[in-house]
Amino acid sequence: MVISIPAPTAVVLLILLLIIGILVGVLVQTRRKSSELRVRLDAARQRQQEDERELTQRSALDTLKDEFVSTVSHELRTPLTSIRGALGLLSSGVFGNLDVKSQNLLRIALTNTDRLIRLINDLLDLERMDSGAAVLQMRRCSLPELVNQAMETMSALADAGQVKLLVSPGAKALMPNVFFDADPDRILQVLTNLFSNAIKFAPASSSVTFEVETPPDELIFRVVDQGRGIPEDQLESIFERFKQVDHPDARAIGGTGLGLAICRSIIQQHGGSIWAQRNVAKGASICIRLPRHQRTYDASVGGAYTASIEVPSIVAAPRPDTVLDTPILICDDNKAKRTLIVTQLRARGHCVLEAGSSDEAIEIAKNRPAQSPVRAILLDLQMSDMKRWEILKLLTRNGSTASIPVVCLSMGAEADDALQSPNALRPTSSPSLLSEDYLFAELSHALLSDRGPGRVLLVEDDLDLANVVLGGFAKTNVLVEHAATLYRAKVLCRERRPDLLILDLTLPDGDGFSLVEWLRSLPELASLPLIVYSGRELEEGDQSKLRLGPTKFLTKARVQSRDLELLVLTMVPQGRGNNKSDPEDRGGQQRSTGLPVS
Amino acid sequence: MLVTVRHILIIDDEDDIREVASLSLEAVAGWKVSTANSASQGIAVAPGLQPDAILMDVMMPGMDGPTAFRAMQQVASIAHIPVILLTAKVQAQDQRRFADLGVAAVLFKPFDPLQLAAQISKALGWPD
Repeated sequence: MVISIPAPTAVVLLILLLIIGILVGVLVQTRRKSSELRVRLDAARQRQQEDERELTQRSALDTLKDEFVSTVSHELRTPLTSIRGALGLLSSGVFGNLDVKSQNLLRIALTNTDRLIRLINDLLDLERMDSGAAVLQMRRCSLPELVNQAMETMSALADAGQVKLLVSPGAKALMPNVFFDADPDRILQVLTNLFSNAIKFAPASSSVTFEVETPPDELIFRVVDQGRGIPEDQLESIFERFKQVDHPDARAIGGTGLGLAICRSIIQQHGGSIWAQRNVAKGASICIRLPRHQRTYDASVGGAYTASIEVPSIVAAPRPDTVLDTPILICDDNKAKRTLIVTQLRARGHCVLEAGSSDEAIEIAKNRPAQSPVRAILLDLQMSDMKRWEILKLLTRNGSTASIPVVCLSMGAEADDALQSPNALRPTSSPSLLSEDYLFAELSHALLSDRGPGRVLLVEDDLDLANVVLGGFAKTNVLVEHAATLYRAKVLCRERRPDLLILDLTLPDGDGFSLVEWLRSLPELASLPLIVYSGRELEEGDQSKLRLGPTKFLTKARVQSRDLELLVLTMVPQGRGNNKSDPEDRGGQQRSTGLPVS
Repeated sequence: MLVTVRHILIIDDEDDIREVASLSLEAVAGWKVSTANSASQGIAVAPGLQPDAILMDVMMPGMDGPTAFRAMQQVASIAHIPVILLTAKVQAQDQRRFADLGVAAVLFKPFDPLQLAAQISKALGWPD
């Protein structure tokens, strides 16, 4: 029996078979591919695990090395302290004079102890740099500042050797405008090292000259001496450890043989190069080429205890024309801390004035000539000065000082005590470390903020209370916008980033927690300075859910609006009265002055 | 010439360093020195001694210098006395950490025995 299949059906069957065939083929292919992929994925996973293991091992090794360096540094220095001290006292003659032979022996012991100390310092330095443990703290540096500092440090040595330290006329003309990205401490170390080398090997009444060239995006400088020079075949090797130029009195001169190796490590870490040249006439030059701009800025900022705070490259890039005559005023009664900050500000190219009290600070700010006003005030709230909280008010009252941005330092537990005004304002107290990077970030924010009034967004559903708060700011340079609902708050935040948020927790269409959660999810708003102004005391658990940028918690019943106003003034930049900022800044990101609190 | 006799409390666990530092201040500057060989001993004797300044080692067994400094800040009768830390650590991050503590100054070991008194005076703003 023959079953006849109508032709169209056969065609359909054939097509179906074909489709099934193709599908099976694809399926087999896919399975093969997917098993291949699985194998590759497993291999990749394994590699990743190995990498992770290696990384963990390496970081464990790094930690071990750091600890070792730190321990050695301490363990070697401790006995040396006793030796150096005992020898120093004996040879000084305070316990009676010694005969010439004993004096000579003591002098030998003393010089060699000093040499050992230098050697340990240099070795540890080099070790830390070569192991990568020494992280560069990149800043905008002013070349003249660093050169002057190095020359000052070396002037005693130069005088003793009757050597003149000079800056070439060309360098003098070029230098005032030379800024570059580098770790100022390290570059200073290089400069002092080079000067000290040159001085040590320079004959009496010769000179050591500093020269500069500025090709685009680069910086070349040279320390030129008139000594006995470096033989052609040793121009390279002098940068190796313990390689000094062979000459009879090299050892007697007392270098550790590590100075140039350290310089090379530092310069290489900056992405630059260092080399030696024979001078045409006499002596040798050590030359350094450095890139002016560092791309790896952010990655290299931050040390063991500095939080990951963005340090804008503007940190110490004051516009060259404004540097000299518009100073930053630092007000702190702790001289040690003041000096520390002043040194760091100067190294970044700022002009700095110092005040030891609030009165002095106000006096200085008021009496600056109109063409060179104080650009910003760094105020230490830990001062024992009774007026440190008044200073903000006093500055605002005076027309010429009302627009100076103020950056407040470390609002720690001590500051809280000082805040015991009649209706105690109680910010959350957690002693804050004064992080250098944070400080300069805040300072640069303040300097950038002279572009209009500070903007505060008040999120409050109680209209009466909102009006009280709004009224309080009527006479200040702070612009307060009001949102009575969660929705409106979000709209206003999106429209333009406020400099500060004052937040009530209960809102008709949600609560403060959900607003904070939303803000945290947006990178540009996640670090907003925030004052939480709530009806009840908040538990620590609740507080941690409400932190954005610098965050303060106030309880309505305990705080007068005057205190809130004061707090706000410390947390937002006060716009310049006569707004003359350049348009670039105006369009830029909103910046604010904050308190480094928890 | 009238020379102010300062009274310094030295706190260090190393006998030799206490000795050298004491001699430096006594023989070179003519100051009065008291010593303690641990932070806790230092905190115990400081209220009675009321020294003009405290010179304290950073790394000591038991309580270290920074911890002792914070403890001293809590004791009303000695919180006003300036504290100078003496450290053999010279790494930049250590230095900054110490400066952030709020101590009056940080001096480094090895120190020059002839300069120690002058360094203390300078750090505390005392006239020479």
